[in-house]
Amino acid sequence: MSQTVQHQVKGLKLVDILVTIVIAIVFGIVYKLWSPVYYAVKPFGFQADQLVYGMYFIASTVAYLIIRKPGVALLAEMGAASAELITGSEWGLSVLVSGIVQGLFAEAVFAAFRYRRSGLGVVCLAGVAASIASFIMDLYYNYIDDLAAWNLTVMIIARTISSIMITGVFAYYLVKALELTGVTNLVRPVSQADYDALENP
Amino acid sequence: MNFEHRETWLHRVNPSVKLLAFLLYFIAILFIHNINVLINLTWANLFLLFAYSGHPYRRLLLYASPFLLIFISSSTAMMFFGEGETTWVRWGLLHITEESFYRGLHIGFRALNYAALGLLFALTTGPVRLFYSLMQQLKLPPRFSYSFMAAIRLIPIMFEEFQTLRQAARVRGGLSGRGPGAAYRKLRFYAIPLLAQSIRRAQRIAVAMEAKRFVSNRERTYYYIIGYSWRDALYIAVLIGSFACAWWIGTGWPYFDITDVRG
Repeated sequence: MSQTVQHQVKGLKLVDILVTIVIAIVFGIVYKLWSPVYYAVKPFGFQADQLVYGMYFIASTVAYLIIRKPGVALLAEMGAASAELITGSEWGLSVLVSGIVQGLFAEAVFAAFRYRRSGLGVVCLAGVAASIASFIMDLYYNYIDDLAAWNLTVMIIARTISSIMITGVFAYYLVKALELTGVTNLVRPVSQADYDALENP
Repeated sequence: MNFEHRETWLHRVNPSVKLLAFLLYFIAILFIHNINVLINLTWANLFLLFAYSGHPYRRLLLYASPFLLIFISSSTAMMFFGEGETTWVRWGLLHITEESFYRGLHIGFRALNYAALGLLFALTTGPVRLFYSLMQQLKLPPRFSYSFMAAIRLIPIMFEEFQTLRQAARVRGGLSGRGPGAAYRKLRFYAIPLLAQSIRRAQRIAVAMEAKRFVSNRERTYYYIIGYSWRDALYIAVLIGSFACAWWIGTGWPYFDITDVRG
C-alpha cells in the first residue's frame, strides 16, 4: 500500500500545474499592488522598506504548502514574476530574474527535506533561503557591499525578519486557514492516512 | 494591457527572441559600472519606449510616472549611507560622499533602464503570442503554456469576486480600524475566499481539459503559427547598436569624470 502512495506523489500533473499557476498569478497581482507600499516607505534610506520585502517570496511557500510536490515552489515564484512583468511592473525585467533565483533557493530548502516536511520551521527556512537569493542579486544590482556597515546590517536583519514573518509565518497560517475551507484536499496528493481511513471506516 | 494602440514593428518581433534578447541585455547591464555609458543607454531605451511602443504619449507618461519614484527610492540609500572617501555632507548618520552619490545615481539609472525595458516588453507583447511562441520556438511543454493562458483568463473573474467581497464588507459595515491587526484581518478577509475560489475553479478547468483529451506529450497542431521575420534581426541589431553607441559616446564624451562607480 505504501508503495502506491510513494508512486503517486511523483511528477506534476496538469491539475498541479494549473493550480500552481493560478495561485502564482494571484500573488503576481499582489506583488504588483505591493510595489507602491514598498517604495512609499523606501526613500528615507533607513531600510524600513525591508520589513515588507518578505511579501515578494510568498508565492513559493504558499503554493508549496497547498500542493506539496517537487517543483511547485519554483514554478509558483516564476509564474508570479511573469505575471508581474506582463502586467507592466515598475521594476521591469529584474522581477523575472529575481523570481527565478528566489524560487530556486526556496525550492532547494524543500528538496533538502525531500519534500516530506511542511512544518512552520521548514517554511521559514525557505523564506530565509529566498532572501539570501535576493541579497546575492542585490550585490550585483545595488552594490550593497558598498553601503555603510550599520546600514547594511539593518538591511540584512530587517529583510530576514520580514522573510520569516511574511514568507514563513504568514504563509503558514494563511494555508492553515485555507485548509478549513477544504480546497486543499482537492489538490494534495493522497496520504497514507487517507488509505487507513478506507481500511477502517 | 489591452488598451487601444498602434501596432509597431516591435509587436511583430518574435516573442521568444524578444524575451531572450532582453534577458541577455539584462545581464549585460549588470556588468556596466561606467555611469556615462549607463546614462546614454537609458536615453536609448526611453527613446525606444516612447517612439515604438505604439501607445499614445499621455498614457505612456502615466505608465512611466512610477519611474521617478523608482529612481529616487533606488538611489537614496546608497547616496545617503554609502561608503566613500570625499565627504560632501556629514550630519549624524547621514554621510554623503562624492563616490556614494555617483554610485547611487548609477543604481537609479540602472533601475530606470530595467523599468523602461520591462514596460516596453509588457506593452508590445501579448500573452497569447508569447506563450504560443514559447511552445513553438523554445519547446515549453504545452501543459505549462495552456495553464498560463487559462489562468490569465481567470483574472477578470478574480477582480469581480474582489469587488463582490468589498461590497459585501461595506454593506455589513465591517472591516474598519487601523493598525497591523486590522490590516491582517483585512488581508485574510480577501485572501482566503479569493484563493479558495481560484483553486476550485483551476481544479475544475484541469479536470475538464483532461476530460476533453488534453494530452501534452503528443505532437500538437497550433491555431497560431509564430515564426521568425526580418524584424527579429532588426531588433537585435537595434539592441547591439544602442549598446555600442552608448559605450562609444559614454567613453569618448563623458558627463562625469568617473569610469567605475564601485568602491
